[in-house]
Amino acid sequence: MRKTAAIVGAGILTATVAACGGGTQASGGDKTLTLAESVTATPWDLARASMGPEAQYYQPVYDTLIRLDTKGNPTPNLATSWSYDKAQTTLTLKLRQGVKFTDGTAVDADAVAKSLLHTKSGTASAASEIQDITGVDVVDSHTVAVRLSHPSASLLPALGQVSGMIASPKALDNPKTPVGSGPYQLDTSATTAGQTYTYTRNAGYWNTKAFPYEKIVIKFLSDPAARTNALLSGQLDGATLSLNRVKTVKGRGLNVVTYQPGDIEGLYIWDRAGKIVPALGKVKVRQALNYAFDKNAIIKSAKTGLGTPTTQLFAKGEDGYQAALDDTYSYDPAKAKKLLAEAGYPNGFSVTVPDLSANFPQEQAALTQSLEDIGIKVKQDTLPTDQIFSAMLAGKYAMSYFKLGAPTSWDKVQLELTKKSTWNPLKYDDPKAGDLIDRIGTATGAARTSLMSQLNTYVVDQAWNAPWDVIANAYATAKDVKVTPQPGSQYPPIYNYEPAGN
Amino acid sequence: MLAFLFRRLAAGAVLVVVVATTTFLLLSLTGTDVARNILGETATQSAVTAKRHELGLDQPLVERYWHWAEHALQGNLGSSWFTGEPVNQSLTDTLPVTLSIVLAGMLVAAVLSVTLGTAAALRGGWVDRVVQFAAVLGTAVPSFLIALVLAVTLAVQLGWLPATGYVALGDSPGDWLRSITLPALSLAVAATAATAMQVRGALIDVLRADFVRTLRARGLTTRSVVFRHALRNAAPPALTVLALQFIGLIGGAVVVEKVFGLPGIGTLANSAAVRGDAPVLLGTVVVTVVIVVAVNLLLDIAYGWLNPKVRIS
Repeated sequence: MRKTAAIVGAGILTATVAACGGGTQASGGDKTLTLAESVTATPWDLARASMGPEAQYYQPVYDTLIRLDTKGNPTPNLATSWSYDKAQTTLTLKLRQGVKFTDGTAVDADAVAKSLLHTKSGTASAASEIQDITGVDVVDSHTVAVRLSHPSASLLPALGQVSGMIASPKALDNPKTPVGSGPYQLDTSATTAGQTYTYTRNAGYWNTKAFPYEKIVIKFLSDPAARTNALLSGQLDGATLSLNRVKTVKGRGLNVVTYQPGDIEGLYIWDRAGKIVPALGKVKVRQALNYAFDKNAIIKSAKTGLGTPTTQLFAKGEDGYQAALDDTYSYDPAKAKKLLAEAGYPNGFSVTVPDLSANFPQEQAALTQSLEDIGIKVKQDTLPTDQIFSAMLAGKYAMSYFKLGAPTSWDKVQLELTKKSTWNPLKYDDPKAGDLIDRIGTATGAARTSLMSQLNTYVVDQAWNAPWDVIANAYATAKDVKVTPQPGSQYPPIYNYEPAGN
Repeated sequence: MLAFLFRRLAAGAVLVVVVATTTFLLLSLTGTDVARNILGETATQSAVTAKRHELGLDQPLVERYWHWAEHALQGNLGSSWFTGEPVNQSLTDTLPVTLSIVLAGMLVAAVLSVTLGTAAALRGGWVDRVVQFAAVLGTAVPSFLIALVLAVTLAVQLGWLPATGYVALGDSPGDWLRSITLPALSLAVAATAATAMQVRGALIDVLRADFVRTLRARGLTTRSVVFRHALRNAAPPALTVLALQFIGLIGGAVVVEKVFGLPGIGTLANSAAVRGDAPVLLGTVVVTVVIVVAVNLLLDIAYGWLNPKVRIS
């Protein structure tokens, strides 16, 4: 009998421990919002800040000049009003009076100018969003004029994100603790860098009612299974969800929203000039690649049916999007082979692609299988995770599976279509596209939209890439928490969370 | 015994130096452009070059190693290249998490393995067969799978214990125990399986020894023979296996920490390795080796306590 008891020791230990505890439940109801992040935080220095999912770490502390509403439209925040000059190259912003940073410094024109210029001086993605700024003038104590090198439709959206966050002038360079004027401040005693970040209310915040939670806790949980378990067991109020877990989580009664932040995934052809793989320099070959992928099947198998097939660079709702373009290339492997033959490659060709299966196993498999189906021999190059992107950026590969996204069409153009674009690693230069991009940079209104459409059409016709789909994201929240996704944001911003039933 | 311990300490110190040096060399040979990773995709080449200079990456390898070793010897393991946080602070934050689950896992494994091994050796028959089968199963099933099953059943389905997270012992002993229970059990399964078989085998051998027959002949009860004499003689090989398991558990903690979202040294090392954050990675390696050396030293002391012959030799 004694031995039996000993053998079940583990069970007893578990039960005892289980019984001795209260709860570790997340609690939207008790005014604490506990969220999970899938990526680690970038430094508090805004010049080194990233704009992806990392934005949630910054949002409680640093307030933005402009608030983007749930449709992505700019609304007043630290700036109460703004206007462009006639040339659209100077944006004048009137600042809210009486706002202070948590260190007591006033949020005035001088502080805003210093903060914006400091962010711009960096090299991370928040900085790259505002590189069109050539200067920030202090007009008076509560007015700044932001000067641009050319009209930029992406400036206002950028000022509503990390790029437009304002830090105290006393804590701009590599601060150990962030000092902003946002709705919360970092509670360092309950924060473990890289793991758990706790934010408590900033008592002096000007718009407390827009933030219903007394405390925000953001936990870094890289493992999708851990995030799901934490959500299901009530430890989290919100977390991003792998698409294959949507059904399970919905089945448990939690709230799940799916949305498309505008990221496009598929085959990205970097070597459009044929420097590494001469075949890719031919339009017919690139078009053949577009006919090689059964997008609906990929979405069904790798994306659990969530995602929208596409052929173009822009997503629905973005400037320059054209629904008709999505019919340009439908799955037709026979046609793909015919085009390859017409281009002088009846037996296909060989290409080396980076092996991204550590992060995207199904996508990588779909890529290689589809290409091999039309006779292209794919060699997968395996590199450690920390070296793959450096190698891709250095122009090592002619093409690869990839996904790219940016808040606006213009941002996407800057990110991947210009000769200098970061994600144009082989610096492909197309005079016609370059001319269109130059004209878009100085155009406004309907003329700009028309030019953007022309650029989109040209890029699709020339088969610069072979997109598969507009990616869908899934985000789950506890039963008592409601969240509204934000266009262009991978994770909903913290001001889009509220207790359910409000 | 003292001289013996000093010798083991010296050997441990050499081991720390060798492992640290090897890690440093391996990290230097990865080819990762850390400066580019830190500054981001859009950084100019001149900014990247300046960053490399700032980090000392343009210095000769020997000079860089000496610089690191000189500070490490003074207890300063440097700062993260990415977050700027001192490595000592990161280790202070994360080490208690890993040690909590590993030590608790060891404790569970020690108690269960002795119980199961002894039961199998003494009872034989179906008890022995069940224990052996369970041991094979426990060794074969990977700890991450056990962790996932425990998390889904005991945390998600039944809600008995937290599915993720860690509570410091100083904050709430009860919640600390709750937060480490499932990770510790996940780690304990394989260690229990391996050690239980060792206890069983060693005990069976000892129970067949002449001195045990003599003890029985003198009229000692089975309980006294087993617990006062046989187990003590069967302990050294089991202890060796348990110590090896401890080292294995530290490695296994990387995966278990991930499943349970624990901010331990495994998570720290993992993210440092992915980013190429050499100071953090070196710090975790050095501390891990020091722990392994310390455990081996404790094992030697335990051997001496269990077997006086060791003290003399």
